[in-house]
Amino acid sequence: MWWKILIFAAMSAVIVAAFMTHSPMNPNKSLGNAEVYRIFYFHVPQAWVAALAFVISMIFSIQFLRTRNMDYDTKAVLAAKLGLVFSILATVTGSIFARMTWGEFWNWSEIREVSIFILLIIYGAYFALRSALPNAETKATLSAVLSILFAVSAVFLIFILPRLYADYSQHPSDSVVDSEGQITMGSTVAIIFFTSLAVFTALFGWIYSLSLRLARVANKNLPGN
Amino acid sequence: MLKLEIDKLAKWFGPRKIFEDINLNLEFGQSAAIIGPNGSGKTTLLRLIMGLSYPTSGNIIFSENGNKLDFEQYRKKMALVSPYLSLYDALTGFENLQFFAKVDGRLKSRDEFESLLNKVGLAGRGDDFVGAYSTGMKQRLKYAVALLKEPTIFLIDEPSANLDESGKQIVWELIRSRKENSILIIATNEKEEYSLAEQFCKLGS
Amino acid sequence: MPSSSVSWAAKVFAVTRKDIMAEFRTRYAINSILMFALVTLTVISVALGISTPDSDLMAALFWVILFFAAMSGLAQIFIREEESGTALILKLSTDGLVIFFGKLIFNLLLLAILSILIVPLFIILLKVNPQNWTIFLIGLVLGDIGLAGATTIIAAIVAKATVKGTLFTVLSFPILLPLLLAVIEITKVAFGGGGFGDISLSLQVLIPYDVVMITISVMLFDFVWRQ
Repeated sequence: MWWKILIFAAMSAVIVAAFMTHSPMNPNKSLGNAEVYRIFYFHVPQAWVAALAFVISMIFSIQFLRTRNMDYDTKAVLAAKLGLVFSILATVTGSIFARMTWGEFWNWSEIREVSIFILLIIYGAYFALRSALPNAETKATLSAVLSILFAVSAVFLIFILPRLYADYSQHPSDSVVDSEGQITMGSTVAIIFFTSLAVFTALFGWIYSLSLRLARVANKNLPGN
Repeated sequence: MLKLEIDKLAKWFGPRKIFEDINLNLEFGQSAAIIGPNGSGKTTLLRLIMGLSYPTSGNIIFSENGNKLDFEQYRKKMALVSPYLSLYDALTGFENLQFFAKVDGRLKSRDEFESLLNKVGLAGRGDDFVGAYSTGMKQRLKYAVALLKEPTIFLIDEPSANLDESGKQIVWELIRSRKENSILIIATNEKEEYSLAEQFCKLGS
Repeated sequence: MPSSSVSWAAKVFAVTRKDIMAEFRTRYAINSILMFALVTLTVISVALGISTPDSDLMAALFWVILFFAAMSGLAQIFIREEESGTALILKLSTDGLVIFFGKLIFNLLLLAILSILIVPLFIILLKVNPQNWTIFLIGLVLGDIGLAGATTIIAAIVAKATVKGTLFTVLSFPILLPLLLAVIEITKVAFGGGGFGDISLSLQVLIPYDVVMITISVMLFDFVWRQ
């Protein structure tokens, strides 16, 4: 119970701090209004959670294929659902930022935008497959296989996209880790950012465990489980 | 010694129970008939035995001399005849037989295919497209394909489906001659076929 | 009859041969693929009119045509088995991998026929002239291998679903994206001019992609096939 309060408190603190402290971006270096860069505290953790959820879903998929225990399928779908939500959040916050700084809501040569979009498509394809398979066993097995295939493809994309779009990237890259791998954020910024990262992850974990309990109870009402 | 052990098998599709507490033990040379009204799960049980579906609880184990066989191993010994099984309409009878023999790793001559077709009463029809066969002819060809394998696990869902009287006689004779060289399981509603097997497994009570 | 008297390769080719015979008599897949490619090519040609876009765009368009043509026909080999009810006996007759490679080779043949027919038409209608044919062919061959290799298992997955047509495209796109990006880069170099140095990076993605996707498909295929 206490950790729920902690999450609530930490999230509130992050929101307040995000707006009360200096913008994380140096006004001299920023395009457009430096204030917009505050979205960084929320956008990056969302993208991080979206990617994390994808990995978690894939791991559960592998476990399902190994053990044929339907509980793993439940877990995999849940992670995917939450991943989808966070992907949408990340895309929207990213798009807002893009509009405010570079003037357009979307730009195809921006590799991070392309990446999050692909993640959205992957989630969409995953759920499209699931909804086209009526049999629970088949649904679980085939979507697990698909999950793994997508993960492999994603690995390739991680290597290929930056190479192709390196010249075009306007995504702020120096704000977290600079070219030497040192963390360049000022200490205030770092505290708020990493707290936000932790809070979003904890939030994901909390929603996940609640939904899991719900899903398991729903499944229990079906005999044969 | 080839064995099949089915132990407290149960199958549910979500909230719907198909069957539970199914028990059966068969050794090489023994046979069983799965009987029950339409919809009682005979086909589902066969699918479970074949390994194309997984039990909700319980076990189905094929073993040989005490060693458990996995799917790849028992698949090679197994043949199925079923209304749900289709052969290639776009190929001729011979082409179907050639394909299924080769892909199972068996080399057979045209003469051997001819004699197989004779056996099931399809003499001279080998060069016709299966798409042009009547349902009775297709059923007979299914037996021919099954026999290619000389199966030691022979599963037959509705042995006399689509067959006329002479077809039924041919098929029952085939089954009787194959019985002692295999584990035979038939699923049927026809009382005349009950005597083809020694043990019974009743579904849908 | 000893059952090892037929080699594994012979079994694979038996599957391919069976599919070729069936396809030859019914022509579902090849017609679909060729017509789709032809129509797309014509639409693009007409839409472009007299303007000649740069070679980079042409490279992308070439693979757009191939991608969508592939999507219209490569799933047929499995969908046909499911719909005609022959999947069941196939599962019982032979190893999953024999099926996988047999159908992979069949799809590769379809793509080869498509490529042979489309390339001349593409060059003539869109007035493109590859500066470097060797590079173009390397890209084409590796691209076709990747297309067939990565989508065979997807075709098997889609065959069990209820809404097969668009689902195949939706599922294949994220899987094929690395392939498309890499192969378009290679074709850009082939059309626009450049040497082997320019394509080495793309090859470093494309060749591992082909190998890895086929390997992973082999590892996962039995899970799909046995459902």
